Amino acid sequence: MAINILIVDDSAVMRAMILKTMRMTNLPLGEIYQAANGQEGLDSLNQHWIDLVIVDINMPVMNGEEMIDRMQENPNTKEIPIIVVSTEGSRTRIERLQHKGARFIHKPFSPEIICDTIKDITGVEGNDE
Amino acid sequence: MSEQLKEILSRVVRETLEQLAFMFSLPEDERGCMIPDSAVAATISFSGSFSGRLVMTVSNQLLPELAANMLGVDEEETALNQQHDALKETINIICGNLLPAIAGNEVVFNIDAPVIITEIEAIKDVIKDNDNKLTSMVKLNIEESECDLFLFVEGEFTISS
Repeated sequence: MAINILIVDDSAVMRAMILKTMRMTNLPLGEIYQAANGQEGLDSLNQHWIDLVIVDINMPVMNGEEMIDRMQENPNTKEIPIIVVSTEGSRTRIERLQHKGARFIHKPFSPEIICDTIKDITGVEGNDE
Repeated sequence: MSEQLKEILSRVVRETLEQLAFMFSLPEDERGCMIPDSAVAATISFSGSFSGRLVMTVSNQLLPELAANMLGVDEEETALNQQHDALKETINIICGNLLPAIAGNEVVFNIDAPVIITEIEAIKDVIKDNDNKLTSMVKLNIEESECDLFLFVEGEFTISS
C-alpha cells in the first residue's frame, strides 16, 4: 500500500531534502503534498487523503505544535500519524510533543532514521527490490 | 573567549555540515576574518536562559555548493533563493543544536527566523554593532572556501557539563 505524505516546513530546501531522503529509501510512496506552514498544512489535510504528516515546529503564520493541536481537535485528522522533524533541543518541548502522540526526529537527520520512523509509525513495509 | 565554547561551536558546525550537506570543514585559525565583499551572511537571534545572535558568513563560491549538496543536484541547477534558503536552514540547525550543547537540554530557547544579509555594509554593521557581545568565533575552510561563525551573547552564562 502506497502512503500519501504531507510535508510541512517553511524551508523549501528542507522539504526537498526530506522528499529526497524518502525517495532514497524503499518506502512505498504515494502522493507527496507540501505546505509552508501549519495553516497551509491544515488546508491540505482538508483537500487530500493523507496517511502521514511530517511537520517542522518553528514556522510563521501557524507553528507545527498548533497544527498538531488543531489536527487532534478534528475527528477527521486526529488519528493521522505525525512525525516532527525539528531542531528543537529542549527536552520539555520534545516530551510535550511526544505526549501529543508525535514522533520526534532531530535535524540534521539520516535517511535511516526517516525510513525506520515512517515504517514504525505507519506499519508499512518497504518495497522489495 | 572560552576554548570550551569554541570547541562546542566548532563541533556543532562540523557535524551539521557533514550530516546536512556532506561537507567537511577544517579550522583556519591563522587567517583573518573573511573579507565581506565576497560573502553572504545569515543571522539568527535567540532568547532563553541567555540571549544573543549567531552570524554565519560564507563565501559566494560556497553558497551554491551548499545548496546543491543539500538538494542533491548540480550547482548550476540551484536558484539564488534556494541558495539563501539552504544557508538559512543551515544556520537554523546549527543554532538549534548549539544552544542545548552549551546550556543543556533542560533549558528552553526561542529561536527567531533566520535572516539573509547580502549587503556588504550591512554584514559589517551586524558584526561591528555586536562586537562587545562577541563570545566565540570559528573560522573554517570548507571545500577550499571560507566560512566564519560569530556567536554574540548578552550577559553572563555558564556552560553545562
